Formats: sequence, structure tokens, C-alpha cells
Amino acid sequence: MSGDARGWRIALVPDRLINPARRARATLPDVLRVLDASGYGVLQLPRSGKQNLLLAVIADQIAEYSHHGYAVVAVGVRGASDGLHWRRLSALLRQRRVARPPRHLIRAQRGAAAEGQRLADFLARYDLPVEEQRRWRV
Amino acid sequence: MSPVVEALRRRGYELQQLPCPELAFAGVRRWWAVYEQYDTPAYRAHCRQLAQAIAPLIEQHLRHGDEVILIGLDGSPSTGVRFTSSKPDWGGRPNRPEDDWEIVPRRGVWIEELEAELSRRGLPALPATGWALDMGRFDEAGSRADLEQFLDSCDGAPGSRREDSSSQ
Repeated sequence: MSGDARGWRIALVPDRLINPARRARATLPDVLRVLDASGYGVLQLPRSGKQNLLLAVIADQIAEYSHHGYAVVAVGVRGASDGLHWRRLSALLRQRRVARPPRHLIRAQRGAAAEGQRLADFLARYDLPVEEQRRWRV
Repeated sequence: MSPVVEALRRRGYELQQLPCPELAFAGVRRWWAVYEQYDTPAYRAHCRQLAQAIAPLIEQHLRHGDEVILIGLDGSPSTGVRFTSSKPDWGGRPNRPEDDWEIVPRRGVWIEELEAELSRRGLPALPATGWALDMGRFDEAGSRADLEQFLDSCDGAPGSRREDSSSQ
């Protein structure tokens, strides 16, 4: 796999952060832009509702990434629902023998700029152990 | 940020990511392949399952009167919209030169199955194009112009682009 241009970093992101409601745009950071600047790819989580089949498909993808040297994180929104289907997704990942990824929650009331920086800091801090990186990222 | 995402956001589109069928089927360590290698009953069944997972979201938008467009990855054996990669005699050990395939004008396997699922649900064909990243030589400027032209042609299509996501 020499010359592999992959980023090796994936973020699970709820629909509400990818397509924020107009009224929420002033208080939420531009998460796609922060992720892009931090070298992360995106796996979009669907809106709330009965999404069992799609969540299973997404869990399969997370398992594949997690088993092959990708750093996987989850970025949600602090509140009643983080948008990540966390309970259901956790169960699906457990079935696939995958640990839940580290989760970062945006706090909308703190302001978009501050939260964007906090997200960037979280992303910069996290990666797989060096041995795992060496194993896969040739 | 991806020029595709930039262009879509600038025009007020919401984004709905499609699952990557090759990743879920053959994994992140898969070899490269052409249309004929993925044109198998098992892979098509896999694509149909993914289509059944994502089609309800597309259907919801269409029933809501939203304008929905489809953007694939031209040249891909799965995700190609206008073009896919073809080489009927590929197989065995992956020892062929990297550019030893042909680009042919047809859908990739995943797009074929997704469109079939939408059709089964009685939904109209989506306006569709492909970002030409998988065509051998990538011409970003040309691809951007191509995409903008496609998006221009979609403006004024039936349905209205939603400006807010109040249902979240």
C-alpha cells in the first residue's frame, strides 16, 4: 500500500451537525470545516427515528475502520440527544467486538468559535497508539 | 474542504452521505477492481441491502417535496454515475498495470442497485452526476466546472430545496 493517501482518521458525525438548522448555525461550529482542517473523514449518522438497518451498516463500516488502524472518534451535541444514536450504536459495536470510540460533545451555549477550537484540540490530541499506527499505516 | 461539499453547501443543499459498498463488502484493504469483478450476485445482494437502508431517507425527502440529486464517483466500479471502469478479463493475482482498465459510459454496480431500489419504491429517477476522481487522470478544474454546470441545470427542477432542518 505504498503511496497510500488515506487520512486514517474518521469522525462519526450526526446529521444535525452536518446539516444544522438555520437557527442553530450561529451557536454551532462548522464541524465539517474543523474536521477537514484536522485531517478527519466523516461518517454521517442519520437523524433520529427508526434507522436500525442503516445503523447496522454504519456499525459495519466503523468495525472495518477500527480493525485496520483508523482512529475513530464521535462528535455529538450535548443535550437530551447527542445525535449519535449512542445507545443503539454502542450495542451494535459491542456485537462486532469494537470498543466505543472516544466521544466529544459540542456545547452549543458556549459559542461557535470556542467550541470549534475545543473540537480541534480534541481531534489533535487523539490518535491510536504508535505501535498500531506503525502496524497499519505503511 | 472537498470542492463537492463546498459547491453543494454554497447552493443550500443538505448533505446525505451514502454508505461505501466496497468498504463494507471487501474492507479497507481491498485491491482495486473493475465493474466486472463486482458484478456478482453476492455483491449485488449486498448493494441491495445498503440501498434498502438508505432509500427511506431519500424517499422521505422526495415525499416532502425536496429537490434531491445524486452525486457519485465517476470511474468507480461501484459508485460511477456517468462512467465506470471496465476490463472483462481482469481476475486472479492483482499484477496488472494500474492504468490497464477502460472507462466506459455506464453506472457502477452500487448506483444501479440504488436506482433500482428507488424505482421499486415508485420514486422518480434522481438527477445524477459523478465527481470524476476515479477516472485515471483527475482534472480538478474541469470537474469543478462540470459540477457547477450540472448544479445550474438542477436549479428550478421540481421540488424545493429545504432551507431549514426543523425536523431534527
